[in-house]
Amino acid sequence: MEHDPAVTGLESFLARRGEPLLRTAMLLTGSKEAGEDLLQAGLERLLRHWQRIEGDPEGYLRRTLYNLAADGWRQQRAWRRRLRLLQSGTATSVADGTAEVDTRDALIRLLTQLPPRQRAVIVARYWEQLSEAETAEILGCSVGSVKASASRGLRRLRELSGTAPDAENDLDKEKAR
Amino acid sequence: MSTDIEQELRWAMERFTGDVRVPPGLAVKAYRHQQKRRVTTRAVAVAGTAAVVAAGGVAIAGVTGAFGSASPSPAQATYTASVVSHVQHALAASRVANLVEADRTVFAAGNSLQPIPTGLIGSAHGSGGRSSWPVSSSLSWSYRGTTKFSALTAAGQRAFDLELSVAHRTLSTTAVLYRDRTWWTSTPGIKLPGGNAGPPSGCVRGQDIVLRRGQGNGWPAFIRSQLACGAYTVMGRQVVGGVDAIKITGASGAFTFWVNPATYLPVQMTLPQQRTEFQWLSPTPANLAHLKVAPPAGFRQVPAPPEQSAR
Repeated sequence: MEHDPAVTGLESFLARRGEPLLRTAMLLTGSKEAGEDLLQAGLERLLRHWQRIEGDPEGYLRRTLYNLAADGWRQQRAWRRRLRLLQSGTATSVADGTAEVDTRDALIRLLTQLPPRQRAVIVARYWEQLSEAETAEILGCSVGSVKASASRGLRRLRELSGTAPDAENDLDKEKAR
Repeated sequence: MSTDIEQELRWAMERFTGDVRVPPGLAVKAYRHQQKRRVTTRAVAVAGTAAVVAAGGVAIAGVTGAFGSASPSPAQATYTASVVSHVQHALAASRVANLVEADRTVFAAGNSLQPIPTGLIGSAHGSGGRSSWPVSSSLSWSYRGTTKFSALTAAGQRAFDLELSVAHRTLSTTAVLYRDRTWWTSTPGIKLPGGNAGPPSGCVRGQDIVLRRGQGNGWPAFIRSQLACGAYTVMGRQVVGGVDAIKITGASGAFTFWVNPATYLPVQMTLPQQRTEFQWLSPTPANLAHLKVAPPAGFRQVPAPPEQSAR
């Protein structure tokens, strides 16, 4: 099976472009484990549709990753994982002299709290540095929707990170849902 | 932080994703998982028709998309478009909806088959266990919801007969095993999907192609859809079985049909390890009589084997 041309082609492709795609998948899901799972799910779709794809398959795979993530892929499991991340995050607060680093880690944790589509927009805009039009294209939505999601996502991140009591309350509310 | 949260986000993302490596074997893992999903799909597809199925390629064959396969030349593309147009005319004529499908398949050496309640399991290397029979050829008769499949040994002796019937969307199966002088019958309890049970109309490029016997009126639509979406390419004309047939090859190159240009029904198909020749006959009482499986006197009824996936 490993000699199947599909596998050979996929391995070659991953050797060239796998790491940036895995990074994106990690950011879309909030953990390395979930990112690998998302990337694998994307690769399976790529295998199914390979011959329909002309040229470099990266664009197809990237769109697939975003759309799987935005559609709430594995939402239930991801939600439970987010709760765990959140709990450990609040337990290990930022009083150890590495506040800046911890704040950035906390931002990632807070990023995973956003609804899937807002998170996907934030990753596309601020990680991939895509324009609003490019983000709209990859997610299959309007530029207006991208603008709204980015704006709401950033506002939510500011709320959650800027005022700890409010953030805790918000998280408690979400946890209680 | 909130004064420049965008920059903070970028740094956080850099830090979070630093030093990641794609785990070795992810491509193989994805491939295996995809294969597993395909097998599951296959089993459902088989259950969804009065079909004959075998992983070794009796009536179902996996066609995996090949990376970097060549696109058809402009001349081929034009020819394909022309054929698609003609198939639409053939479809409009609807002359193929009421035919008995009779086919003969010759297998490569080492092939073995096992009848199961949902069809057949095949093995290309004779490793199917004691329930498998070495089969070098088969005869199959199909009409509407019923298929009879007779497996023959290299000596031309009958190894087993298998009848699959669908009534009210429910599959029932009867097998007569000549070597053991036994027979069994089973209703696997699978509710079949309603609607058109013909070959798939969606583009099967890079996925399994599911071939089902007894779907005469589905073949032209299947061929048209596969040509239209580019999964298959018209390769030219070739005389097969006395018919100046159109040769159509799947993108992987493993799967080839020769179709009658008048009806767009297959005349012949080749898969790895097997070749099948088709005949399309009127549903006369004599032809329909071939569809029944009847246990000979003296044969003992035994429990049906457990259901299993087609692998």
